[in-house]
Amino acid sequence: MPEFLDYFQFVLAPQMLNGLSLGVAVILMALGLTIIFGLLDVINMAHGEFYAIGAFLALSVGALGFDFWVMLAVVPLMMVPIGWLTEQVLIQRVFHSRERHILTLLLTFGFGMVLEDVLKLVYGPNTQKPPTPIGGGTEILGIFLPNYRLFLIVFGAALILAVWLVVFRSRLGAMVRAAAWDKDMASSLGVPVRLVYSGTFAFGVALAGLSGVLLAPIYSVFPTMGRDFILMAFTVVIVGGMGSIQGAVVAGVLLTQVQAISSLYISPVWSDPLVFGIMVMVLMVRPQGLFGKLGNA
Amino acid sequence: MTKKTSALAAALLLTSAGTALAADPIRIGVVTPLSGTYAPIGQQVRWGLELAAKQVNDKGGIAGRPVELLFEDEEANPAVAVQKAEKLFQVAKVDFLTGTVNSGSTLAVGQVAERNDRLLATTVSFADSITTDKCSPNVFRVNARAGQQSAALAEWLNKEKPKSKVFFLGPDYEMGRSTVAAFKQAATDKGASDAGEVFAPLDSKDYTQYFGQLRASRPAVIYTSVAGNDTVRLLTQLEEYGLLRNLTVVGASGTVTSQNIGAIGKAAEGFVTGVGYSPEIGTPENKAFVDAFRAAYKTDPDLYGADSFGLIHFYKAAVEKAGTTATAALRDAMRGIQWQTPQGTKTMRGGDHQAVQEMYAVQVTDGKFRIVGTVPGEAAIGQDLCTKF
Repeated sequence: MPEFLDYFQFVLAPQMLNGLSLGVAVILMALGLTIIFGLLDVINMAHGEFYAIGAFLALSVGALGFDFWVMLAVVPLMMVPIGWLTEQVLIQRVFHSRERHILTLLLTFGFGMVLEDVLKLVYGPNTQKPPTPIGGGTEILGIFLPNYRLFLIVFGAALILAVWLVVFRSRLGAMVRAAAWDKDMASSLGVPVRLVYSGTFAFGVALAGLSGVLLAPIYSVFPTMGRDFILMAFTVVIVGGMGSIQGAVVAGVLLTQVQAISSLYISPVWSDPLVFGIMVMVLMVRPQGLFGKLGNA
Repeated sequence: MTKKTSALAAALLLTSAGTALAADPIRIGVVTPLSGTYAPIGQQVRWGLELAAKQVNDKGGIAGRPVELLFEDEEANPAVAVQKAEKLFQVAKVDFLTGTVNSGSTLAVGQVAERNDRLLATTVSFADSITTDKCSPNVFRVNARAGQQSAALAEWLNKEKPKSKVFFLGPDYEMGRSTVAAFKQAATDKGASDAGEVFAPLDSKDYTQYFGQLRASRPAVIYTSVAGNDTVRLLTQLEEYGLLRNLTVVGASGTVTSQNIGAIGKAAEGFVTGVGYSPEIGTPENKAFVDAFRAAYKTDPDLYGADSFGLIHFYKAAVEKAGTTATAALRDAMRGIQWQTPQGTKTMRGGDHQAVQEMYAVQVTDGKFRIVGTVPGEAAIGQDLCTKF
């Protein structure tokens, strides 16, 4: 019995908590993706690079002498015009084409590659790391968790809740959902659909940038960092249901826990194939994902 | 006979042209990465060789003949390296070849040297196989191999923390698994105990999933051979979880480098590794070398620059002992030869063509590597495992 307690306290419980902090990170990435897809029907392959831009902007703001809390407020605001312009200048060009899915996918994929190289040119190829804003750790029932991870879990959960409230409980959210459900009807009822499109895209991009600020102290900052979470975030969006917020949260927690716990028993190299295997099964059995699309729920 | 007449003809030609050069130059081909990811290493190789060649030429060259270096960019690609080496042997008729950086290029170019019946030496490649199971009678290595580095580290560990429990964490691919296996062997031979091992995928985001296992096994030392960004994440996450407090972190020589030490910051403090060179070495020979290198290139030499510098002296010693640049005689002269390098005297072991040299344990203190221990060459060299000659 003490052996099991030792195992639970040192191995299993911390592993689940670590999985949870990773889960929050993945959900923050997936939220932006799923909202953009749910409303605009655009698969944003450059999402990972927007996450990287957020992290690099945090470094720049930090270099000017501001602390972490300023970054947390300022960087998402800086991301809004970037997202807005991307939607207006790039996405709109191919948005009304019959091949929208393929064209926007290729466009954002290419744009992501350009952004990655721009980051390399501006900041150089080497890894950088902002200081951890909250040091130290807390013991909960003998389980050690760094304070910053604890903050990440709590702040992330609050942020997810706030996004949910905005989308489902505010007038703005109602307009977004109406535009997603039927853009012609919404438009004729006075919803400024064009503005809603650009605004939603910018909002998704700002969320990616915010994840960049939040995760930079843990995962460090380098030009190709955008590739880190993008596969997992896409998997979460697909399993949860393309365009579903609840889906992203449920699938995000579920898949990161599967990954965290399975890596204790099988070689960690195999935990990724396991997660992608689940995605393939969901696609075969329930292609629409666990939950329905934004606007339909 | 023909050599003498051609030298005579060249001398006649040169005197008639009014220059003072008396002899045919010795041509050394350098196939090294001058572009791409490994370009910084190729740059050090080039600087080391050019500095040594200049100093040697100023003092009358090798056996009265000046040294001439011919550079070719191999792009750290074995296929390109083979073409460039073939070109240097066939067209430029070089007497000797060096410069290859990645171990694949060294092995591939070694076969080209065998076909052309010429000799080559690497000054950079670490892979043990070059002077063990894939050894070649035409290939020499003047730098320390991976086995010497981990032997030096194990030696240091045994002296500083005898009989410690060591936890091993490597990246999950060929290099990661072989470095962990090699160090585990070296450390347990000296009395350390094995607290467990884990192999994480390359480019892992989060190492915290292994921390449970790490804490449960309660080690005193952790050995790792991750590199690049992976090191940044591993070490900063260990610090975040407060695990670095009672833990000594040791690792492979490529784990903490000038490229990632800035990002690791405080978490790199105390990291120990085994290396074959450090600009810190306090001998007069090394000080003179470092000063000359700094004056010429405005930067410190690293181990690649130092070992490439030493190579010219290795070749000089061998040619002067053999009295010729002919392959068979030169090979015999190289076996067992001793020569001077910035690190001190090195000896070329005849049985496997591996240089025996003093090794160093270096530790990160205030963001810079400082020498914390030296290991005599004999203690780090290991067995001769070459059976081909």
